[in-house]
Amino acid sequence: MKKLVYILFSLVILAGCEPKIDELSPNQGSADFSRFVSVGNSLTAGFADGALYFSAQNNSFPNLLAQQFQLAGGGTFVQPVVNSEFGVEFPGSLPRLILGFSTSCAGTSMGPVPDIGPRDPVAPVGYLVNNLGIPGAKSFHLLAQGYAMLNPYYARFATSATNMVIQEIPPLNPTFFSLWIGNNDVLGYATSGGVGDTITGLPMFGSSMGVIVNSLVGVGTKGVIANIPDITSAPFFNTIPYNGLTLNDSLANLVNYAMGLFGLPFVYHAGPNPFLVADPTSPHPYFKVRQMQPGELVLLTAPQDSMKCYGMGLISSLTLTPWPLPNQFVLTQDEIDNINTAVAGYNQIIAGLAQTHGLALADMNTRMKNLEQGIIWDGIRMNTKFVTGGVFSLDGIHPNSRGYALITNYFIDAINAEYGSTVPHVDITKYPGVAFP
Amino acid sequence: MRRFTTLLLGICLAATTAFGGGYQVSLHSMRNIGMGLIGTSLTYDASSFFYNPGAAAFVQDKFSISGGVSLLMARTTFQPKDVMGQYNIEKILNTPLYFYFAYKPFDDLSIGLAVNTPYGNKLSWGEEWQGRYLIQDLAFKAITVQPSFSYKIKDVVSFGAGLVLTFGNVELNKALPLDGQNGAEGKVNIKGSAYNVGFNGGILIRPIKGLNIGIDYRSKINMKVDEADATFTVPATMKTNFPDQKVATSLPLPANLDFGISYEFNEKFLIGINLCYVFWGAYDTLTFDFKTKTPALDKSYAPAMYENKLIPRIGAQYKINDIVTVRLGGYYDPSPVPDGFLNPQTPSMNQIGLTAGFSVFPTKGLSIDAAFLYVMGLEREGTYSPENFSGTYKTNVYVPGIGLTYNF
Repeated sequence: MKKLVYILFSLVILAGCEPKIDELSPNQGSADFSRFVSVGNSLTAGFADGALYFSAQNNSFPNLLAQQFQLAGGGTFVQPVVNSEFGVEFPGSLPRLILGFSTSCAGTSMGPVPDIGPRDPVAPVGYLVNNLGIPGAKSFHLLAQGYAMLNPYYARFATSATNMVIQEIPPLNPTFFSLWIGNNDVLGYATSGGVGDTITGLPMFGSSMGVIVNSLVGVGTKGVIANIPDITSAPFFNTIPYNGLTLNDSLANLVNYAMGLFGLPFVYHAGPNPFLVADPTSPHPYFKVRQMQPGELVLLTAPQDSMKCYGMGLISSLTLTPWPLPNQFVLTQDEIDNINTAVAGYNQIIAGLAQTHGLALADMNTRMKNLEQGIIWDGIRMNTKFVTGGVFSLDGIHPNSRGYALITNYFIDAINAEYGSTVPHVDITKYPGVAFP
Repeated sequence: MRRFTTLLLGICLAATTAFGGGYQVSLHSMRNIGMGLIGTSLTYDASSFFYNPGAAAFVQDKFSISGGVSLLMARTTFQPKDVMGQYNIEKILNTPLYFYFAYKPFDDLSIGLAVNTPYGNKLSWGEEWQGRYLIQDLAFKAITVQPSFSYKIKDVVSFGAGLVLTFGNVELNKALPLDGQNGAEGKVNIKGSAYNVGFNGGILIRPIKGLNIGIDYRSKINMKVDEADATFTVPATMKTNFPDQKVATSLPLPANLDFGISYEFNEKFLIGINLCYVFWGAYDTLTFDFKTKTPALDKSYAPAMYENKLIPRIGAQYKINDIVTVRLGGYYDPSPVPDGFLNPQTPSMNQIGLTAGFSVFPTKGLSIDAAFLYVMGLEREGTYSPENFSGTYKTNVYVPGIGLTYNF
């Protein structure tokens, strides 16, 4: 009987044991993550939903990367913390966007609306930071003396008003770095419809990148450098289709009649039709317009109220004359070609630098192409669609926290491949996507 | 509370954690559990009506009653691929029960009833775990009630069959990757029940004294749930995309073809083997057909791609004296889940089962039967590719059990 009790007791103990599987044992390989510094633009800063705010900044890819590095010998990582969920306040800055409701002639619809609340005023944080991500920065800005006077995000952590950004690096004495810069060198051009900014030329980009990388690698510091994704596949450029003008039969007939009167050779059908866009090269004496072509892109910032309610992109309901989309809201094929050429050139330079200095290369360009096709990760289906795609934040350009978590894993893959390290992935299911009301 | 109610109703069959390769549960009689779960060629008691209705007519006594309960403790650990941290399924005690009754109005004919839970799966990974978009928790059980007969021609061959009335119910919860501004995550609950009928038929041959050869076939039973309730907890603005509604689904309970041989070397010692072929191939895809289709909800397909498998089993029994009989056994249960389809809903791996058991006969005809089964899952790394979810699974199962048998 005693024996039986003993056996039963043993069984209970046995049954309490979980099956043993070896845990991961992260290793730094030939890299040294003890002092990690991250250099870049808004993507490095953790910008999302049109703002730099507390929780998204906390989920910036360098911060997540640093947390994973800490499992493999990494040290502390300091960010210039924004103490507000609504963003940073300075003249001309915009508040964070959230999903909300707005009303137009077309009724009430859900979309990004400003989330108004107390924002963190620009003031120097007063400590050294490891995250040197500066929203708005282009490659050559990192070499501009006094850039802090032009860019309040840099002013928050600049150690001197006259510094170049790269001068922030030596005091941090990095053993490992990430560099992701160059997006804004084309993005400013792209988000202004090709009219409000210029694309940084390849020689300028190449020489700037050379200096930046040299200032990082110092005496053998290792790191990862990311290339530039095809920015025009972001939802900012793909949410409003070029042919988003839906007409019924009678309206199409009416428009055809009117176009005939205007002497414009455009034909409209029931169903989707291309918007009109301003075209100074049009042969027409008065109406410098043309129909958009397949492949051309309407920006998310296009005035959708005017398009839905007052005939922008077709015929103005007030003046009853053709009313094209202004060029600043459209990327024409030529403009898209310019962007693509620049991105391809930048990426060649970046790949060359990675090769020369033996750096890991995070191929974000390919990752973005895959995302465009749609990916699945731990049961989450993601793509580049606005709001429903699950990766981009409400500004249509920057990722949301889940997107940044994905990017972190892409960096980790590149680092592990180059340095033989085994830095674990982040669990992307822990990071939120777009929040719905 | 529900379990308590069920208990009161006297059905007494709780859900069981699947520990076979898939969602088949083979805990149907302590005597058989002790001998590596063999049974097709054994003729000890009324449990034959489940293992092989053909064998029941060879049971010598006029009446046979057998019942019992297993205390099933499954432990599964999961290590996600490339992500720190491990997960364990909740420690649930499952208690699959069985009850058999056999009566021989004539020496050549036996009629009887078998009640047990040949299929089931119950596990909970918790609300927050990394695979929550695939599954949070799942409870599926099927109770079968099998009225049967068995007829013997001389003492050489017998055959038997039964109708398998199968009552199933299922409930599952999983998270949806939909965040609310209140911080809550989307969720879906699906709950439904099904009923269907199959059959169980078998033959037993005794060419020479002491040698039994049995063959048994249990048909596939398709548990078709026409109107399960799907309840969605989602942010208010998403509710029109995810309306609460009825959903149709079905799960096949696979057919089994069992072949068994046993030989009594003498009055004390018996050894037997079983070859169980499970037609897992029936489980191809789990489909959820939502009645109210929206852009977000359509027919959803979860490929399972199970493959037919053969389970070899061996067991032995030694009668120490008139009071004590001891048993030993073992088996190898290969996973029906192919690479690329390893799903945390049914963490399946090749398993080795080791069993031991004994019976005590305080008086003639009455026995107290006990058995212990230890199932060692062989660590398996894999992916469920349709959802791109990867990691390493390992399961151990501990099943002590006790039962009573009375032949008279």
